[in-house]
Amino acid sequence: MAETTHEMRQISECLWEVPRTGAMRVPGRIYADEKLMAHIRSERAVEQVANVAHLPGIVRCSLAMPDIHWGYGFPIGGVAATDPQEGGVISPGGVGYDINCGVRLVATSMARAEVEDRIRDLVLALFRDVPSGLGSHGAIGKLGKRELEQVMVEGAGWAVRRGFGTEADLERTEERGRLPLADPGNVGQKAIQRGLDQVGTLGSGNHFMEIDSVDEVYDEEAARAFGLERQMIAIQIHSGSRGFGYQICDDYLDLMQKAVTRYSIALPDRQLACAPVESPEGERYLSAMACAANYAWANRQVMMALAKRAFARTLARSEEELGLALVYDVCHNIAKLERHAVDGLEKLVCVHRKGATRAFPAEHPDVPPAYRAAGQPVLVPGDMGTHSFVCVGTDATMRETFGSTCHGAGRVMSRSKAKKAAKGRRIDEELSRRGILVMATGKATLAEEMPAAYKDVTEVVGVMERAGIARPVVRLTPLGVVKG
Amino acid sequence: MVERPSYKEIEHTADVGLELTAPDLASAFERAAAGMFDMISDLDGIESEWRREVRVAGRDDDLENLLIRWLSELIFLHESEHVLLSTFDVRRIDGNLLEAVVVGEGIDPKRHALKVEIKAATYHDLVIRETPSGWRVRVIFDT
Repeated sequence: MAETTHEMRQISECLWEVPRTGAMRVPGRIYADEKLMAHIRSERAVEQVANVAHLPGIVRCSLAMPDIHWGYGFPIGGVAATDPQEGGVISPGGVGYDINCGVRLVATSMARAEVEDRIRDLVLALFRDVPSGLGSHGAIGKLGKRELEQVMVEGAGWAVRRGFGTEADLERTEERGRLPLADPGNVGQKAIQRGLDQVGTLGSGNHFMEIDSVDEVYDEEAARAFGLERQMIAIQIHSGSRGFGYQICDDYLDLMQKAVTRYSIALPDRQLACAPVESPEGERYLSAMACAANYAWANRQVMMALAKRAFARTLARSEEELGLALVYDVCHNIAKLERHAVDGLEKLVCVHRKGATRAFPAEHPDVPPAYRAAGQPVLVPGDMGTHSFVCVGTDATMRETFGSTCHGAGRVMSRSKAKKAAKGRRIDEELSRRGILVMATGKATLAEEMPAAYKDVTEVVGVMERAGIARPVVRLTPLGVVKG
Repeated sequence: MVERPSYKEIEHTADVGLELTAPDLASAFERAAAGMFDMISDLDGIESEWRREVRVAGRDDDLENLLIRWLSELIFLHESEHVLLSTFDVRRIDGNLLEAVVVGEGIDPKRHALKVEIKAATYHDLVIRETPSGWRVRVIFDT
């Protein structure tokens, strides 16, 4: 594919515009500083931002967060909203294969000093109790088809009713852990077969569980509202819809190839295949995507329950005594129908977030009451071995990015490059010397996931802060990591 | 006896990919499959104990679509049957239809080092083209 060089102009310190050219319907906007932009330019990600701007019904601009990197059709770190009433489309590539890949954060009442000498035991317990790695299956037994249908429709609520966690957890989950549009009738047999025995499994790649401590607090009031304190232990779980979601994406990408012809949609990239939101194909995809999203929420709810039990058993104390409580759960690969102001009018638009996180600010009605004064917690995990952040959105987030912000670090190095760079090095030992214990099932995983393979998440969050569309609340530092 | 997979791994920031050439269309599809599974887990360690006949229908003489459908079907078998595949014998192939026999064994975590989780085969920079030096293939996988 011939590379197109797009002119860019810098609008402000951390914002660049890709002006409308050719068949672009709107301009592109990329949040980045000079340093991050140098890498972004080298990667054809700018071209992808411009390509997304070709989508029918796209509103205002094609957006990219500072952790942007090249992806399938849409860049990862991309946000695009379309207006269904103007023939706006839904594009599975704007969600990603790992539908509702996301992260949840669990607070505890344990201080780091209390459990520092038990980190190894805790990591081992997580490693044993939550299946991870390639082809991981079998966490809670194979489901029957009827039960899987319930998972698809009820999401995290299914897990709660099965004894994994409580109703209170649902309030602290985006969408209460369930998108209502789900229709199992639109999910194919192959996806079902893959989904039956993967609930409660971590998967592989950049999925992980992590034991952290809170090492910096930037906003005392918000941190208090979220239940986070300095030196307190917290647990992160990062995973998605597993093979169930990948299969649904695959099935619908195929369907969308046909839809593009049927609706005469001209696209610069085959992988932006899409259909109008208000079309049979569009509706079917959204309802199947919702099934996958709900599956992922059920998955994270189950894994959280397994993690809490592992902690309680290892430390020989009850979950209540340990103060284990869900802070929040966010998705970063999803499409949602949300109300946003467009040209002064409030409209229902279809917001694609692929490697981007919803960041509703204070007073937004979708933020849980306990957090409404602070805003929705935005979980931004760093790469293995470095910090993660909890942030909140601002009013500017709603105005400028359809209530969206970055999702994490974003890769800068290919897996093969990372493996070469890691040759002869013991990544686990290097991390251990820095006080971080890692356990992984995959042979190559550690090398590929080495810290240098990713952008510096501190920089990414810094750009969002300087651009005014996210504010850090706390910083977390890792103590132990379980990787698939 | 498993044929040593002949492909070149290509650089890609977020994902993995391969490139290869083959003397004919059938072997191009076979080598693409072998390369993909060699990226998942070394083909050397896979015994021949599990066998399946595979039939993939493409669309409108679209070879790119047929290649993606073929690789997708294999990823599906890998996950749903918990198997690793090492031998691929394409018996019939044209623009719309592929019939093959695939062989491998059940995943054994003790013997099989699992290297990369491949979520899907993508259309990005996809190449399946006849050239003077044979059939050329390039596939990027989402990982």
